[in-house]
Amino acid sequence: MQKSDYRNMWVYIEHDGKTAAPVGLELCCELRKLCDRTGDRLYAVILDRLPGAEEEKVKDCGVDGLIRVHGSGYAYFNTDAWANAFTVLSRKYNPSAIFVGGTVNGRDFAPRFAVQLDTGCTSDAMELDWDSETGDIQFIEPAVGGKIMAVITVPALRPQIGTIRPGTFPYAPTGRKAQIEEIEEEISFDPEAIRCRHIDFIPDENDPEMDIANADCIVCVGNGLKDSEHLERYRTLAKLLGGKLGCTRPLYDRGILPYKLQIGQSGVMVKTKLYLSFGVSGAVNHTAGVDADVFVAVDKNPEAQIFNYCDYGIVGDMDEVCDELIAQLQARR
Amino acid sequence: MLNILVCVKQIPDIDLVKMDPETGNLVRAGVPTLTNPLDLNALEAAVQVKERYGGKITLITMGPPMAESTLRECLAVGGDEAVLISGRPFGGADTLSTSYSIVMAAAMRGKFDLIFCGKESMDGATGQMASQLAERFDAAQISCCLSVDAVGDGKIRATRALETGREIVEATLPCLITVEKDRFFGRLPNLEAYLAAKKAEITVYTENEIEGLDLQKIGVPGSGTIVPKIYPPELPEPGQIIRTGSARSDVGRLLELLAEKGAL
Repeated sequence: MQKSDYRNMWVYIEHDGKTAAPVGLELCCELRKLCDRTGDRLYAVILDRLPGAEEEKVKDCGVDGLIRVHGSGYAYFNTDAWANAFTVLSRKYNPSAIFVGGTVNGRDFAPRFAVQLDTGCTSDAMELDWDSETGDIQFIEPAVGGKIMAVITVPALRPQIGTIRPGTFPYAPTGRKAQIEEIEEEISFDPEAIRCRHIDFIPDENDPEMDIANADCIVCVGNGLKDSEHLERYRTLAKLLGGKLGCTRPLYDRGILPYKLQIGQSGVMVKTKLYLSFGVSGAVNHTAGVDADVFVAVDKNPEAQIFNYCDYGIVGDMDEVCDELIAQLQARR
Repeated sequence: MLNILVCVKQIPDIDLVKMDPETGNLVRAGVPTLTNPLDLNALEAAVQVKERYGGKITLITMGPPMAESTLRECLAVGGDEAVLISGRPFGGADTLSTSYSIVMAAAMRGKFDLIFCGKESMDGATGQMASQLAERFDAAQISCCLSVDAVGDGKIRATRALETGREIVEATLPCLITVEKDRFFGRLPNLEAYLAAKKAEITVYTENEIEGLDLQKIGVPGSGTIVPKIYPPELPEPGQIIRTGSARSDVGRLLELLAEKGAL
């Protein structure tokens, strides 16, 4: 295999038939920058029909081309047809890299077509770089619970495949190309051959307390929390501040709070005005998911990494500081 | 009777793994190991299926000889037999080559109807193994499974978790399933099972015993990815630490600062 035979980068545009998921647009914006350095062309890959207005959004992200795939098998997400489409397309066009949003379904099918193509796959990169000598993309991501950053490459095989979590890169379109190539492909997958079929979908009940991504204020509780009996005061504080409660991964792992409240790269990426963390150590995986105007950290360990991310820090017992905040905020009313 | 495979992994306690500041290498020596917690949830799901529909559970792992302890732990809570893939040539593998090694070794034990995996490992955390195993087993896959609703007639019906709701799916067997941990809390072994597991025989396959194994597809040569470099995360400059002597006055000062910033 000659690496130089593989050119151009692709982004999969996940959509539900009505709107494009933000992650595909975010990836187009980020990869536009990378392709400008590598000299590759950037293509957005769309399976089945996406409304024109949504396609316009994709075009605004600076892509050089669209690859539209039509055919049977795409009525509802299924691993078989999706993986097959990318394998067939990749064998035809030999892209250098394929990026897929790290959604539940993206993470489901992308590693699978990587095996079909017998190539390397990475997940959850937080930065993308490029080595001009080797021509390899550097997928940079936190490892070992965020203690280290690891550079991962696919040194000998192509395409280089990466799944990237939603919210990792900003949606910042830099302008539309004058010429956008449009490629139509017919790739059908026999619906009878789909091995895992969609039967039904039951939407989650809308619980505003579980929707923290854009809350004005977030009180985040970390592994410093002794047990669930100590949790209520943080809820009280969040209410007093007109905010919502969130947590770090260990609290979800300990079964104290649900996954939807887990903040960080593998949970919810949040954008907020005021962020208060209590008993959070500050692993990169967590802090990468926090975009706060004002960041307050409280932890008993003065060496905790979280103090590197805060605007204001208090070293002390988290419960005591929380109680004091509640008391003084109530007194102010 | 269902033939069930559960894939498990022994991992270092990542809270205790450190990076040597001189060499930039990870220091794993002396770090305690544990069974990847999410794999125990996968095992629990498999045990529930076995209890409901009948079957046999084979456990499989790849790792150094000490990974046997993980297999014994899993045997004690519902595994029937266990396979360890072990040997230097398997080392340094990424998911592309690990999935190959596991599927080749599993083939030595027959054909499996259901394969259960944890969603990801706490150490590598790529979350890619399950999909890659499913492809190599030529199996259907159900990721993020919340419940196994029915198994029969060569099919499995299950509920999976998506970002905005639950999806009911039906797949043909063989099928690989990754489970959400919330619904499958691991059980504790009883004394009898614990003692039996301690004495149980574990099948060990080295690279020489797996039929048809292509040595170019295992370990480092079979890996698609490499890690040319690791480094400590760059930390921003610390923020302003409020130290006034007591929690009460610290909080008072913090509220003043927040008020000045208009953050309250």
